[in-house]
Amino acid sequence: MSSGSTVLLARKSIRSRLGRTIAIAVAVMAGVSFVVGSFVLADSLRAVFDDLFAELSEDVDLEVRTAQEFDGDSAREPIDVGLADELRAVDGVAVVEPTLTRYAQLVDADGEAVTPQGGPTLGVSWAGDNGLQGVTIKEGAPPQGPGELAIDKATAKREKLAVGDTVTYLTDTGSHQGTISALIGLGSGDSFGGAALVALDVDTALDRFGAGTKADALDIAVADGADVVTVQRAIEAMLPARTEVITGEQLAAEQADDVNQFVDQFGIGLLVFAFITAFVSAFIINNVFQITIGQRLRELALLRAVGASGRQVRRMITVEALILGIIATLLGILGGVLVARLLVAGFNAAGAGFPSPQTIIAARTYVMAAIVGIGITMLSVVVPARRASQIPPVAAMRPELGFTALRTKRLVIGTIITTIGAMLFVIGLFLRPGGTLGLIVLAGGGGLVLFVGVASVSSTIATPVTRAIGWPVEQLFRTPGALARQNVARSPRRTSSSAAALMIGVALVSAAAVFASSLRATFVDTLENAVTADYIVTDDSFQGLSPIVAETLAAVPELQAVTPVRGIAAQVDGDTKAFGAINADAFEKLVNPDLRSGRIAGLGLGEALIGVDPAKDLDLTVGDSFDVTYQNGVSGQLTVAGIYGDATFGNWLIGLDTLESVSDAPARDFFIIGKLADDVDAQRGDVAVNAAMEPFPQANVQTNAEFRTSQEAQINQLLIIISMLLFFAIAIAVLGISITLALGVFERTREIGLLRAVGMSRRQTRRSVRWEAVIVSMFGAVVGVVLGTFLGVVLSLAVPDDVISKLAFSPLIIVLILIGAVVAGLIAAVYPSLKASNMDVLEAIATE
Amino acid sequence: MNVTTHPAGPPTAGGDSVPAAGAIDACKYYGVGDAQVRALDGVTVAFETGRFTAIMGPSGSGKSTLLHCLAGLDTLTSGATYIGGTYLASLSDRELTELRRTDVGFVFQAFNLIPTLTADENIRLPMMLGGETGDLAWIDHVIGTVGLADRLKHRPSELSGGQQQRVAVARALASQPKIIFADEPTGNLDSTTGTEILTFMGDAVREFGQTIVMVTHDPVAAANADRVVFVGDGKIVGEMSDPTPDSILDHLKQYGV
Ligand SMILES: Nc1ncnc2c1ncn2[C@@H]1O[C@H](COP(=O)(O)OP(=O)(O)OP(=O)(O)O)[C@@H](O)[C@H]1O
Ligand SMILES: [Mg+2]
Repeated sequence: MSSGSTVLLARKSIRSRLGRTIAIAVAVMAGVSFVVGSFVLADSLRAVFDDLFAELSEDVDLEVRTAQEFDGDSAREPIDVGLADELRAVDGVAVVEPTLTRYAQLVDADGEAVTPQGGPTLGVSWAGDNGLQGVTIKEGAPPQGPGELAIDKATAKREKLAVGDTVTYLTDTGSHQGTISALIGLGSGDSFGGAALVALDVDTALDRFGAGTKADALDIAVADGADVVTVQRAIEAMLPARTEVITGEQLAAEQADDVNQFVDQFGIGLLVFAFITAFVSAFIINNVFQITIGQRLRELALLRAVGASGRQVRRMITVEALILGIIATLLGILGGVLVARLLVAGFNAAGAGFPSPQTIIAARTYVMAAIVGIGITMLSVVVPARRASQIPPVAAMRPELGFTALRTKRLVIGTIITTIGAMLFVIGLFLRPGGTLGLIVLAGGGGLVLFVGVASVSSTIATPVTRAIGWPVEQLFRTPGALARQNVARSPRRTSSSAAALMIGVALVSAAAVFASSLRATFVDTLENAVTADYIVTDDSFQGLSPIVAETLAAVPELQAVTPVRGIAAQVDGDTKAFGAINADAFEKLVNPDLRSGRIAGLGLGEALIGVDPAKDLDLTVGDSFDVTYQNGVSGQLTVAGIYGDATFGNWLIGLDTLESVSDAPARDFFIIGKLADDVDAQRGDVAVNAAMEPFPQANVQTNAEFRTSQEAQINQLLIIISMLLFFAIAIAVLGISITLALGVFERTREIGLLRAVGMSRRQTRRSVRWEAVIVSMFGAVVGVVLGTFLGVVLSLAVPDDVISKLAFSPLIIVLILIGAVVAGLIAAVYPSLKASNMDVLEAIATE
Repeated sequence: MNVTTHPAGPPTAGGDSVPAAGAIDACKYYGVGDAQVRALDGVTVAFETGRFTAIMGPSGSGKSTLLHCLAGLDTLTSGATYIGGTYLASLSDRELTELRRTDVGFVFQAFNLIPTLTADENIRLPMMLGGETGDLAWIDHVIGTVGLADRLKHRPSELSGGQQQRVAVARALASQPKIIFADEPTGNLDSTTGTEILTFMGDAVREFGQTIVMVTHDPVAAANADRVVFVGDGKIVGEMSDPTPDSILDHLKQYGV
């Protein structure tokens, strides 16, 4: 059998059905572009950070620092600067430079803290010209002594500062003054990856940053001609316990890794939405193929009649899809680069502060693009092609016989698919066989299967539902409205497949809405019931707050209780846990942690408060002791002083004194909570607290209510971002409705011609098509809201109770979605309604 | 359908010529019970090789159904149809496809052509589907005879109805099938164009020995045939050789049509 003829037929068909071809290509392209864009963005950002950190430690051959026992989030213990002299004595060591990175922030003339856009404010030590940190001097000379400092040129430009200016800057030890001796940058750039920098000479830095005699690490350059590995061995031999020496490359890789973990997660998040878009595209493509095969029924039957085999017909349709898939994929790759740029711009507009990367398209990206683009096209065409091959030749003369061949047992199969999908989804979320991977594969896969199932069973309810939706339309627009309503109801299958893509988009938005509402409700509940603090001080510097802030706040007479919350990672029974460190006496007044047994106040050195869950798991009761190993390698025992039920502050709490007894790492507070004295009103309290916090612009003081509002705003923002990322999918869905409708108008050419001939005006024609679109999209939205709410509820129930313990719904969002659906329908109708109303009446009637 | 109850090979027409196709006790029922329609109700007929046969009968009498079943486009409820020496019921779908491509040609009343292909491509379609080029000299001759040489690059939508039918006839002839079935090929055409097509089909029979079976309502068209078979209510109700328009009309009146 000839494949040449099938290719010819496929090619001809693509060319002569340009509109449909473009529509399918756009759908494929959108999916591919988004997938490619996600990869390109993540790869490009990763490259930027790799370069950045490589450049930063370019001159560092080796670094000596304290060792950590296991991976965790604790800050590394500092290292004694005295060790530097011993290191300098090691054969082959040329330069040893203590490094420090702490908090430091410039204050402008008005006393306002200078904050960079999105980046952190850092104070660093800088040994000057022959320093190892990849710093380049743009202007001036390195700072020397306590009276001088250097700042990054980007900040200097923004704040209009120059060499020789005297400025004020804040560090953990308070406010200081100095003269700018140099403007610096990283390599050829003026900025340090968006951070605002204050650089001091090493001794000044140790002093001003309150570091005493301990630096973060000791950077080493080996002498010319010395072998790095030999020097590393020599250093290893003389190092005290719990210290290590690593190479500059390892250091750069580690630092890049930290950032890249974030980049990877970000990239994966984008990819999820990219795949959703591709999935929605697949629905559209499938629908368009399905409809066009219906329209080409006689043609396909004729091919069979003159001797084409079923296989040839199937192959022809498949080849058509393949050609389309390939072309659209190529265009999609180009589109993806554009999408990556748009995403960077979009996130930067929202304040993400991404560096603008060069475009990197990895080989893997091309492969994924091909898999997604060609994959979804081919997958979408499997069923339509099979149906096409089953059209009997006799349908060339009796099309009605062909349509029965195109009909399938949708309800039975659809119900089975829906049930399987729902089961997978629930099993994945609640039982999680195979851990996180199982969760993602089962819940995600189950979700997709569920969508496919619902899309096919929804045709059974399409007629009654669209009749109901169409009722007001008919009342409002009389004949055109009635026609719209009838047209939607007469082919329920077509209606449900054209609405399917929108249904999926809406379902995802609704699910996210339920999830976010529940998250917010739980959060508000916690703040209202578990947290009795009046003030919450958070950190704007990304560095954690200096202990001085908490100390200052504790000294405010208007407050009766203040505690900072610090952290350290420790292993209990082989698992790494996040421990919180608090002032327990104050904590008891600030938080209501649902104490089950024991006590909170009077928490002593070596005592711990633990949550009920770990207490049960480890079979611990008040008075029992357990072994812990902290991340810095120190190990010891903790005795359970109390067991509590509310895990808002984690399941493991120790006193600040216990933390200090095991760790020398510079203390950084995640946040501070405080409570007004009983006889102080809120207004007086606000004044006193704000006055006390005046010198600490990095400390963001909020009342309980303000904190709640700002957190709610963050949850809302999350919902908005999710909706925006679903925008692609929804835009594709609207395009899908538009194509289906246009094809429908084409099919009804003769009928529309007749209506026009008997006196329907162009306007009425347009109106009828327009409201048909609205009814279809409303149908998708209604089914989507119902399905999405179900998904959202299941998802919220599956999440642990300390994250979501309360279900909540947002009627406002549902109303917005329905209004959105009307708008979507109107947009989708623009082209088809014009096409219908511009039809030439005579020609239309002459059409067979 | 039980093929084994039929004779081992298709019967001869009894005369000197061998049948190119035929039906034996062919029945085709639609629906069940009271609503059952007997579109074909025991038709036995044979079409001799190299002859032009017309089928006539009132609307709904089963002419199209008979043609479809003879051509292997549709299946019977009972009875048998054959083409050349082969019973169609004994063929698999693949073999049936092969048979349609090589042994059978078609001309329908309308919608004969693939809209996306040019006239030339439409004519060569059956050969293309088989991965063959066909007899190029013959195809050129056919194209020349139908007078389409200057229209070959046009799509069906750019051709008149008559031109489209001529392309369809050319396609049917191009693959030199054992038999051509035509269902009201001139039904949509004016009489001049219709006559042209019919003359052309008649020439194909007389000059090239082509076998043609044609359904028509038009006595003038039927008069181009060597023989007319009359169908009524799913049965063969009569036939006539070397017909003229008048003799056909007389015959039809006899049956009260
Ligand atoms: N798919 C079907 N289902 C039910 N009945 C059918 C079907 N196809 C044909 N028939 C019936 O079978 C009978 C024969 O139909 P057929 O098309 O063969 O008639 P015909 O002789 O070709 O008529 P015409 O001259 O109008 O074309 C008619 O009564 C018709 O209604
Ligand atoms: Mg007929």
